[in-house]
Amino acid sequence: PAIPEGVPTDTKNKDGVLVDEFGLPQIPAS
Amino acid sequence: MTHWFHRNPLKATAPVSFNYYGVVTGPSASKICNAQQDAVFELISMGFNVALWYTKYASRLAGKENITEDEAKEVHRSLKIAAGIFKHLKESHIPKLITPAEKGRDLESRLIEAYVIQCQAEAQEVTIARAIELKHAPGLIAALAYETANFYQKADHTLSSLEPAYSAKWRKYLHLKMCFYTAYAYCYHGETLLASDKCGEAIRSLQEAEKLYAKAEALCKEYGETKGPGPTVKPSGHLFFRKLGNLVKNTLEKCQRENGFIYFQKIPTEAPQLELKANYGLVEPIPFEFPPASAQWTPETLAAFDLTKRPKDDSTKPKPEEEVKPVKEPDIKPQKDTGCYIS
Repeated sequence: PAIPEGVPTDTKNKDGVLVDEFGLPQIPAS
Repeated sequence: MTHWFHRNPLKATAPVSFNYYGVVTGPSASKICNAQQDAVFELISMGFNVALWYTKYASRLAGKENITEDEAKEVHRSLKIAAGIFKHLKESHIPKLITPAEKGRDLESRLIEAYVIQCQAEAQEVTIARAIELKHAPGLIAALAYETANFYQKADHTLSSLEPAYSAKWRKYLHLKMCFYTAYAYCYHGETLLASDKCGEAIRSLQEAEKLYAKAEALCKEYGETKGPGPTVKPSGHLFFRKLGNLVKNTLEKCQRENGFIYFQKIPTEAPQLELKANYGLVEPIPFEFPPASAQWTPETLAAFDLTKRPKDDSTKPKPEEEVKPVKEPDIKPQKDTGCYIS
Protein backbone atom coordinates (compact mmCIF):
# COMPACT_ATOMS: atom_id res chain seq x y z
CA PRO A 1 0.00 0.00 0.00
CA ALA A 2 1.02 3.56 -0.61
CA ILE A 3 2.64 5.38 2.27
CA PRO A 4 0.16 7.97 3.55
CA GLU A 5 1.13 11.56 3.02
CA GLY A 6 2.46 13.23 6.14
CA VAL A 7 2.08 16.76 7.35
CA PRO A 8 4.11 18.81 4.86
CA THR A 9 5.20 21.53 7.25
CA ASP A 10 6.92 21.44 10.59
CA THR A 11 4.49 23.77 12.27
CA LYS A 12 0.82 23.64 13.06
CA ASN A 13 -1.37 25.80 15.15
CA LYS A 14 -3.00 24.39 18.28
CA ASP A 15 -5.21 26.84 20.16
CA GLY A 16 -3.11 29.73 18.91
CA VAL A 17 0.19 28.05 19.86
CA LEU A 18 2.62 27.01 17.16
CA VAL A 19 3.55 23.35 17.56
CA ASP A 20 6.24 21.18 15.97
CA GLU A 21 5.83 17.79 14.24
CA PHE A 22 5.62 16.11 17.63
CA GLY A 23 2.74 18.31 18.69
CA LEU A 24 4.91 20.17 21.22
CA PRO A 25 4.94 23.98 21.49
CA GLN A 26 7.62 25.56 19.31
CA ILE A 27 8.83 27.62 22.25
CA PRO A 28 9.28 25.60 25.46
CA ALA A 29 7.50 27.35 28.33
CA SER A 30 9.64 26.12 31.18
CA MET B 1 6.68 -8.19 18.05
CA THR B 2 7.47 -9.67 14.62
CA HIS B 3 7.05 -13.16 16.01
CA TRP B 4 3.34 -12.59 16.22
CA PHE B 5 2.69 -12.58 12.54
CA HIS B 6 3.54 -16.23 12.16
CA ARG B 7 0.45 -17.17 14.05
CA ASN B 8 -2.22 -16.55 11.41
CA PRO B 9 -4.63 -19.44 11.76
CA LEU B 10 -6.24 -19.14 8.36
CA LYS B 11 -4.51 -20.28 5.24
CA ALA B 12 -5.76 -18.44 2.23
CA THR B 13 -5.05 -21.35 -0.06
CA ALA B 14 -7.21 -23.80 1.83
CA PRO B 15 -10.85 -24.03 0.70
CA VAL B 16 -13.23 -22.96 3.43
CA SER B 17 -16.88 -23.93 3.35
CA PHE B 18 -19.40 -21.22 4.10
CA ASN B 19 -23.13 -21.52 4.43
CA TYR B 20 -24.79 -18.67 2.59
CA TYR B 21 -28.31 -19.83 3.40
CA GLY B 22 -29.73 -19.78 -0.10
CA VAL B 23 -27.89 -16.68 -1.28
CA VAL B 24 -25.41 -18.75 -3.23
CA THR B 25 -27.29 -21.13 -5.49
CA GLY B 26 -24.54 -22.84 -7.44
CA PRO B 27 -20.96 -24.11 -7.19
CA SER B 28 -19.60 -21.35 -9.43
CA ALA B 29 -21.09 -18.62 -7.25
CA SER B 30 -19.77 -20.40 -4.18
CA LYS B 31 -16.30 -20.49 -5.72
CA ILE B 32 -16.43 -16.72 -6.29
CA CYS B 33 -17.42 -16.14 -2.66
CA ASN B 34 -14.56 -18.32 -1.44
CA ALA B 35 -12.14 -16.51 -3.73
CA GLN B 36 -13.38 -13.18 -2.43
CA GLN B 37 -12.76 -14.31 1.14
CA ASP B 38 -9.25 -15.37 0.18
CA ALA B 39 -8.68 -11.95 -1.33
CA VAL B 40 -9.97 -10.16 1.77
CA PHE B 41 -7.74 -12.31 3.96
CA GLU B 42 -4.72 -11.64 1.74
CA LEU B 43 -5.39 -7.92 1.81
CA ILE B 44 -5.65 -7.90 5.61
CA SER B 45 -2.52 -10.03 6.00
CA MET B 46 -0.57 -7.76 3.70
CA GLY B 47 -1.71 -4.64 5.55
CA PHE B 48 -0.96 -6.27 8.89
CA ASN B 49 2.58 -7.17 7.84
CA VAL B 50 3.20 -3.68 6.46
CA ALA B 51 2.05 -2.20 9.80
CA LEU B 52 4.35 -4.58 11.68
CA TRP B 53 7.18 -3.58 9.38
CA TYR B 54 6.65 0.05 10.37
CA THR B 55 6.83 -0.88 14.07
CA LYS B 56 10.06 -2.81 13.56
CA TYR B 57 11.53 -0.05 11.43
CA ALA B 58 10.71 2.44 14.18
CA SER B 59 12.24 0.13 16.77
CA ARG B 60 15.45 -0.26 14.79
CA LEU B 61 15.80 3.48 14.21
CA ALA B 62 15.07 4.26 17.86
CA GLY B 63 17.84 1.88 18.91
CA LYS B 64 20.47 3.56 16.74
CA GLU B 65 23.43 5.39 18.15
CA ASN B 66 23.23 9.18 18.00
CA ILE B 67 19.73 9.37 16.59
CA THR B 68 19.15 12.61 14.69
CA GLU B 69 16.11 14.84 14.90
CA ASP B 70 14.97 13.69 11.47
CA GLU B 71 15.29 10.06 12.54
CA ALA B 72 13.27 10.76 15.67
CA LYS B 73 10.59 12.27 13.44
CA GLU B 74 10.74 9.14 11.28
CA VAL B 75 10.26 6.90 14.34
CA HIS B 76 7.33 9.02 15.48
CA ARG B 77 5.74 9.05 12.05
CA SER B 78 6.28 5.32 11.43
CA LEU B 79 4.48 4.43 14.64
CA LYS B 80 1.58 6.72 13.76
CA ILE B 81 1.36 5.13 10.30
CA ALA B 82 1.41 1.63 11.85
CA ALA B 83 -1.34 2.62 14.28
CA GLY B 84 -3.39 3.96 11.36
CA ILE B 85 -3.03 0.74 9.36
CA PHE B 86 -3.95 -1.47 12.34
CA LYS B 87 -6.95 0.75 13.06
CA HIS B 88 -8.11 0.68 9.44
CA LEU B 89 -7.84 -3.12 9.27
CA LYS B 90 -9.76 -3.48 12.51
CA GLU B 91 -12.56 -1.14 11.53
CA SER B 92 -12.97 -1.73 7.80
CA HIS B 93 -11.60 -5.10 6.73
CA ILE B 94 -11.43 -7.66 9.55
CA PRO B 95 -15.23 -7.48 10.07
CA LYS B 96 -15.59 -8.65 6.45
CA LEU B 97 -13.98 -12.02 7.22
CA ILE B 98 -16.71 -14.65 7.34
CA THR B 99 -14.63 -16.90 9.55
CA PRO B 100 -13.66 -14.72 12.50
CA ALA B 101 -10.08 -14.83 13.76
CA GLU B 102 -9.54 -17.38 16.51
CA LYS B 103 -9.16 -16.18 20.06
CA GLY B 104 -5.70 -14.87 20.80
CA ARG B 105 -4.67 -14.70 17.14
CA ASP B 106 -3.26 -11.65 15.43
CA LEU B 107 -6.40 -10.51 13.66
CA GLU B 108 -8.57 -10.83 16.72
CA SER B 109 -10.02 -7.47 17.78
CA ARG B 110 -8.38 -7.43 21.24
CA LEU B 111 -4.93 -7.93 19.77
CA ILE B 112 -5.37 -5.40 16.99
CA GLU B 113 -6.67 -2.87 19.50
CA ALA B 114 -3.63 -3.50 21.71
CA TYR B 115 -1.34 -2.94 18.71
CA VAL B 116 -3.03 0.40 17.94
CA ILE B 117 -2.71 1.66 21.51
CA GLN B 118 0.86 0.39 21.91
CA CYS B 119 1.93 2.22 18.74
CA GLN B 120 0.37 5.44 20.04
CA ALA B 121 2.07 5.01 23.42
CA GLU B 122 5.46 4.28 21.86
CA ALA B 123 5.17 7.33 19.61
CA GLN B 124 4.41 9.44 22.69
CA GLU B 125 7.57 8.08 24.31
CA VAL B 126 9.52 9.78 21.52
CA THR B 127 7.63 13.00 22.22
CA ILE B 128 8.40 12.75 25.95
CA ALA B 129 12.11 12.25 25.20
CA ARG B 130 12.03 15.34 22.98
CA ALA B 131 10.10 17.39 25.54
CA ILE B 132 12.74 16.56 28.16
CA GLU B 133 15.57 17.36 25.77
CA LEU B 134 14.06 20.73 24.85
CA LYS B 135 13.43 21.49 28.53
CA HIS B 136 9.68 21.90 28.28
CA ALA B 137 7.70 22.73 31.41
CA PRO B 138 7.62 19.85 33.97
CA GLY B 139 3.81 20.09 33.94
CA LEU B 140 3.71 19.31 30.22
CA ILE B 141 6.10 16.35 30.62
CA ALA B 142 4.21 14.99 33.65
CA ALA B 143 0.85 15.15 31.83
CA LEU B 144 2.20 13.46 28.71
CA ALA B 145 3.91 10.74 30.76
CA TYR B 146 0.69 10.18 32.69
CA GLU B 147 -1.36 9.85 29.48
CA THR B 148 1.27 7.47 28.06
CA ALA B 149 1.09 5.32 31.19
CA ASN B 150 -2.70 5.28 30.74
CA PHE B 151 -2.28 4.06 27.17
CA TYR B 152 -0.07 1.19 28.36
CA GLN B 153 -2.58 0.34 31.06
CA LYS B 154 -5.39 0.33 28.51
CA ALA B 155 -3.44 -1.95 26.14
CA ASP B 156 -2.67 -4.28 29.04
CA HIS B 157 -6.33 -4.32 30.04
CA THR B 158 -7.31 -5.13 26.43
CA LEU B 159 -5.17 -8.27 26.61
CA SER B 160 -6.22 -9.26 30.13
CA SER B 161 -8.90 -11.72 28.98
CA LEU B 162 -6.47 -13.62 26.73
CA GLU B 163 -4.81 -16.92 27.59
CA PRO B 164 -1.49 -16.17 29.37
CA ALA B 165 0.27 -18.45 26.89
CA TYR B 166 -0.44 -15.88 24.19
CA SER B 167 -0.05 -12.71 26.17
CA ALA B 168 2.08 -13.15 29.33
CA LYS B 169 5.29 -11.65 27.98
CA TRP B 170 3.56 -8.94 26.02
CA ARG B 171 1.52 -7.93 29.07
CA LYS B 172 4.65 -7.84 31.19
CA TYR B 173 6.14 -5.33 28.74
CA LEU B 174 2.99 -3.20 28.84
CA HIS B 175 2.84 -3.36 32.62
CA LEU B 176 6.46 -2.35 33.11
CA LYS B 177 6.06 0.56 30.72
CA MET B 178 2.94 1.62 32.59
CA CYS B 179 4.84 1.68 35.91
CA PHE B 180 7.81 3.38 34.31
CA TYR B 181 5.78 6.24 32.83
CA THR B 182 3.71 6.66 35.99
CA ALA B 183 7.04 7.05 37.82
CA TYR B 184 7.99 9.69 35.23
CA ALA B 185 4.67 11.48 35.80
CA TYR B 186 5.15 11.54 39.60
CA CYS B 187 8.73 12.71 39.21
CA TYR B 188 7.89 15.70 37.00
CA HIS B 189 4.72 16.41 38.97
CA GLY B 190 6.98 16.67 42.02
CA GLU B 191 9.02 19.32 40.24
CA THR B 192 5.83 21.27 39.46
CA LEU B 193 4.78 21.08 43.12
CA LEU B 194 8.18 22.28 44.28
CA ALA B 195 8.03 25.19 41.86
CA SER B 196 4.79 26.28 43.51
CA ASP B 197 6.35 25.99 47.01
CA LYS B 198 4.47 22.78 47.92
CA CYS B 199 7.62 21.06 49.06
CA GLY B 200 5.96 18.49 51.35
CA GLU B 201 3.66 17.31 48.55
CA ALA B 202 6.59 17.34 46.14
CA ILE B 203 8.53 14.98 48.42
CA ARG B 204 5.52 12.65 48.63
CA SER B 205 5.16 12.71 44.82
CA LEU B 206 8.83 11.85 44.38
CA GLN B 207 8.60 9.07 46.96
CA GLU B 208 5.78 7.62 44.87
CA ALA B 209 7.96 7.94 41.77
CA GLU B 210 10.73 6.07 43.61
CA LYS B 211 8.30 3.30 44.55
CA LEU B 212 6.98 2.92 41.00
CA TYR B 213 10.47 3.00 39.57
CA ALA B 214 11.45 0.10 41.85
CA LYS B 215 8.33 -1.75 40.74
CA ALA B 216 9.20 -1.17 37.07
CA GLU B 217 12.71 -2.45 37.77
CA ALA B 218 11.29 -5.65 39.29
CA LEU B 219 8.97 -6.04 36.29
CA CYS B 220 11.94 -5.70 33.94
CA LYS B 221 13.48 -8.69 35.67
CA GLU B 222 10.22 -10.65 35.44
CA TYR B 223 9.93 -9.70 31.77
CA GLY B 224 13.34 -11.24 31.10
CA GLU B 225 12.35 -14.40 32.93
CA THR B 226 8.93 -14.79 31.30
CA LYS B 227 8.74 -17.39 28.58
CA GLY B 228 7.42 -16.25 25.26
CA PRO B 229 8.33 -14.47 22.08
CA GLY B 230 10.10 -11.16 22.35
CA PRO B 231 13.49 -9.66 22.99
CA THR B 232 15.80 -11.27 25.52
CA VAL B 233 17.32 -7.95 26.52
CA LYS B 234 17.06 -6.59 30.04
CA PRO B 235 15.33 -3.21 29.76
CA SER B 236 16.45 -2.17 33.24
CA GLY B 237 20.06 -2.17 32.00
CA HIS B 238 19.35 0.49 29.37
CA LEU B 239 20.44 4.02 29.92
CA PHE B 240 16.95 5.36 29.26
CA PHE B 241 15.79 3.36 32.26
CA ARG B 242 18.68 4.15 34.58
CA LYS B 243 18.41 7.88 33.82
CA LEU B 244 14.98 8.12 35.39
CA GLY B 245 16.27 6.38 38.55
CA ASN B 246 18.97 9.03 38.92
CA LEU B 247 16.57 11.87 38.18
CA VAL B 248 14.09 10.69 40.83
CA LYS B 249 16.89 10.24 43.39
CA ASN B 250 18.45 13.67 42.76
CA THR B 251 15.13 15.55 42.68
CA LEU B 252 13.97 13.88 45.89
CA GLU B 253 17.24 14.76 47.64
CA LYS B 254 16.94 18.35 46.45
CA CYS B 255 13.34 18.59 47.78
CA GLN B 256 14.34 17.05 51.11
CA ARG B 257 17.23 19.50 51.45
CA GLU B 258 15.01 22.48 50.68
CA ASN B 259 12.34 21.27 53.08
CA GLY B 260 14.96 20.97 55.82
CA PHE B 261 16.30 24.49 55.21
CA ILE B 262 13.38 26.56 53.95
CA TYR B 263 9.90 25.04 53.96
CA PHE B 264 9.63 22.74 57.00
CA GLN B 265 6.44 21.27 55.53
CA LYS B 266 4.74 18.06 56.66
CA ILE B 267 4.91 15.19 54.17
CA PRO B 268 1.41 13.87 53.39
CA THR B 269 0.74 10.17 53.95
CA GLU B 270 -1.21 9.86 50.69
CA ALA B 271 0.44 10.35 47.32
CA PRO B 272 -1.01 13.25 45.28
CA GLN B 273 -3.76 12.30 42.86
CA LEU B 274 -2.56 12.55 39.30
CA GLU B 275 -5.35 14.13 37.32
CA LEU B 276 -3.23 15.43 34.52
CA LYS B 277 -4.46 16.23 31.05
CA ALA B 278 -1.96 16.57 28.24
CA ASN B 279 -2.66 19.51 25.96
CA TYR B 280 0.32 18.84 23.74
CA GLY B 281 2.03 15.83 22.23
CA LEU B 282 -0.82 13.34 22.25
CA VAL B 283 -0.57 10.95 19.31
CA GLU B 284 -3.39 10.07 16.96
CA PRO B 285 -3.04 7.36 14.29
CA ILE B 286 -2.49 8.67 10.75
CA PRO B 287 -5.67 7.77 8.82
CA PHE B 288 -4.98 5.02 6.33
CA GLU B 289 -6.81 3.84 3.21
CA PHE B 290 -5.80 1.18 0.72
CA PRO B 291 -5.22 2.69 -2.71
CA PRO B 292 -8.16 2.26 -5.11
CA ALA B 293 -8.07 -0.57 -7.65
CA SER B 294 -6.33 0.32 -10.88
CA ALA B 295 -8.58 1.61 -13.67
CA GLN B 296 -7.36 -1.37 -15.74
CA TRP B 297 -9.56 -3.70 -13.63
CA THR B 298 -12.75 -3.35 -15.66
CA PRO B 299 -15.52 -6.02 -15.82
CA GLU B 300 -14.18 -6.91 -19.30
CA THR B 301 -10.65 -7.47 -17.94
CA LEU B 302 -11.98 -9.65 -15.16
CA ALA B 303 -14.11 -11.64 -17.61
CA ALA B 304 -11.00 -12.28 -19.69
CA PHE B 305 -9.57 -14.50 -16.96
CA ASP B 306 -10.66 -18.05 -17.64
CA LEU B 307 -9.95 -20.38 -14.72
CA THR B 308 -10.86 -23.46 -16.77
CA LYS B 309 -7.68 -22.87 -18.79
CA ARG B 310 -5.36 -23.14 -15.84
CA PRO B 311 -2.68 -25.91 -15.90
CA LYS B 312 -4.12 -29.33 -15.10
CA ASP B 313 -1.71 -30.07 -12.25
CA ASP B 314 -2.90 -26.94 -10.43
CA SER B 315 -4.82 -29.04 -7.97
CA THR B 316 -7.18 -27.32 -5.55
CA LYS B 317 -6.39 -29.96 -2.98
CA PRO B 318 -4.58 -28.23 -0.13
CA LYS B 319 -1.04 -29.27 0.57
CA PRO B 320 -0.34 -30.60 4.04
CA GLU B 321 0.45 -27.71 6.34
CA GLU B 322 4.12 -27.14 6.94
CA GLU B 323 5.20 -26.09 10.37
CA VAL B 324 6.20 -22.43 10.41
CA LYS B 325 9.33 -22.00 12.45
CA PRO B 326 9.70 -18.72 14.36
CA VAL B 327 12.24 -16.36 12.87
CA LYS B 328 15.09 -15.51 15.23
CA GLU B 329 15.07 -11.81 15.76
CA PRO B 330 18.28 -10.19 16.98
CA ASP B 331 17.94 -7.95 19.97
CA ILE B 332 18.54 -4.28 19.44
CA LYS B 333 21.14 -3.01 21.83
CA PRO B 334 21.31 0.75 21.95
CA GLN B 335 24.76 1.74 23.18
CA LYS B 336 24.10 5.38 23.74
CA ASP B 337 21.10 7.11 25.16
CA THR B 338 18.40 7.55 22.53
CA GLY B 339 15.78 8.82 24.95
CA CYS B 340 13.44 5.91 24.46
CA TYR B 341 13.30 2.17 24.02
CA ILE B 342 10.45 0.57 22.14
CA SER B 343 9.54 -3.03 21.39
